Amino acid sequence: MDGAVLHLGSGKPTMTEDDALAAKRMPSAKGRARKPLIKLDKLSKHYGNHTVLDGIDLEVMPGEVLAIIGPSGSGKSTLLRCINYLEPPDGGHVTIGDISLNAAAPAGRSELSTLRRSVGMVFQSFNLFPHMTVLRNVSLAQERVLGRSRRNADDRSMQLLKRVGLADKAQQYPGRCSGGQQQRIAIARALALDPEVMLFDEPTSALDPELGLEVLAVMRELAETGMTMIVVTHEMSFAENVSDTVMIMADGKIIEKGPSADVMRNPQQERTKRFLRAVHDR
Amino acid sequence: MSTADVFAILRGLPWTVALTLGAFLAGAVLGMPLVAARQSRILPLRIVAMVLIQIVRGIPPILWLFIIFFGLGMSVFPISPFNAALAGLGLIAAANMAEIYRGALASIHFGQWEASSALNLGRWSTLTDVVAPQAFRVALPSAASYLIGLMKETAVASTIGVSELAFQGNQLSQLTFRGLEVFALVGMFYILLSLPVAWLSRVADSYLQAKVAR
Repeated sequence: MDGAVLHLGSGKPTMTEDDALAAKRMPSAKGRARKPLIKLDKLSKHYGNHTVLDGIDLEVMPGEVLAIIGPSGSGKSTLLRCINYLEPPDGGHVTIGDISLNAAAPAGRSELSTLRRSVGMVFQSFNLFPHMTVLRNVSLAQERVLGRSRRNADDRSMQLLKRVGLADKAQQYPGRCSGGQQQRIAIARALALDPEVMLFDEPTSALDPELGLEVLAVMRELAETGMTMIVVTHEMSFAENVSDTVMIMADGKIIEKGPSADVMRNPQQERTKRFLRAVHDR
Repeated sequence: MSTADVFAILRGLPWTVALTLGAFLAGAVLGMPLVAARQSRILPLRIVAMVLIQIVRGIPPILWLFIIFFGLGMSVFPISPFNAALAGLGLIAAANMAEIYRGALASIHFGQWEASSALNLGRWSTLTDVVAPQAFRVALPSAASYLIGLMKETAVASTIGVSELAFQGNQLSQLTFRGLEVFALVGMFYILLSLPVAWLSRVADSYLQAKVAR
């Protein structure tokens, strides 16, 4: 995969010097007594009688890249969407930085807004705004949420579009861009609000493999800059090579979690082995 | 038929145009709070809006004009035929536009709302920056065809004495006893009025479509 990532042609994402500096990544979270950036306590979610999340406990350290894998219907996407309350959990606690929300109590709008301010999200289906230019897509929330001026927002947007290799698309409409380009724009749009953590919900699942690679390349670079990331994915190579930690979910529970090399190459749980075998056999 | 006869019919044209545009404008504006109430989280508000829309749409337009002009106008407050027709047709247009808006809103992919939430855009910004511009485009063809329908509907105003196209035609046919020619001419004027609306709607739609090619 490395080879493919390096040869993306004209669309190749480039890193600025700032990013390269930031890329001096803090040594991985293991063995260091630092405060987790994200903490989930006994998080649960039900749809009627069906339990989607069954008391999830999870800690994610600053700078950590966590890949969540598992069979469909295991609750991994729901877990991701509960973190920024796109789907409100119905039990447990979500803590991001200094903000803590109790899922048992209804969340106020200002609490939600504070929580979401530190979380960027990338969707499987991109969800760009089709009636706005690419530049406007990236700038809009900066103006509305952060109160940046049009010029400052556009400057920042161009910087980010350059970083994902799409500065030349700024004045186009998203409909004129390929799926891979749209997803990179969506990443730039989320980064524009300077989030502390980025959530990726199967970011390459709607793309054919070739286009998926250019998205994965951007994500890899982002990981190297020290961004905290939680990635729900079916890309086993990303889980194995890019993420620090891998977590396997099934039936709303965490089956196994650990350093990615350990989990991917030497899984302990029978359920994990079965899942990985099924994936490899495909 | 003499030119004088044609001019006699043409005298009705401004009333038809004024009634059509006035009622459509009232409907387009009043339809917004109505659809907001219809989609509200507050149940009583939602029910009131739903019932209101059903009642307004369920009663024939001609009956609404009679209720307003002969009913309210004769007993509660005096009202001119034109204003009565404008009020009645405006009310009906509001209910219909609310339904058109509702359909347009429903067509917006839920991912657009989710992306807006994830980006922390407020409710107002989500509506005005993201949803409404897209819904507007979806609503445009239905709104245009409703505008043409409404234009033809204004003929009922002749029944309460608004001197619009159909009224003038009726007068003239009684004067000349040449109903076929007169009403054919009236019909032609209605067609001529509908053409620019249909054309404009198509131009606007293809412009927007080209911009947002998917």
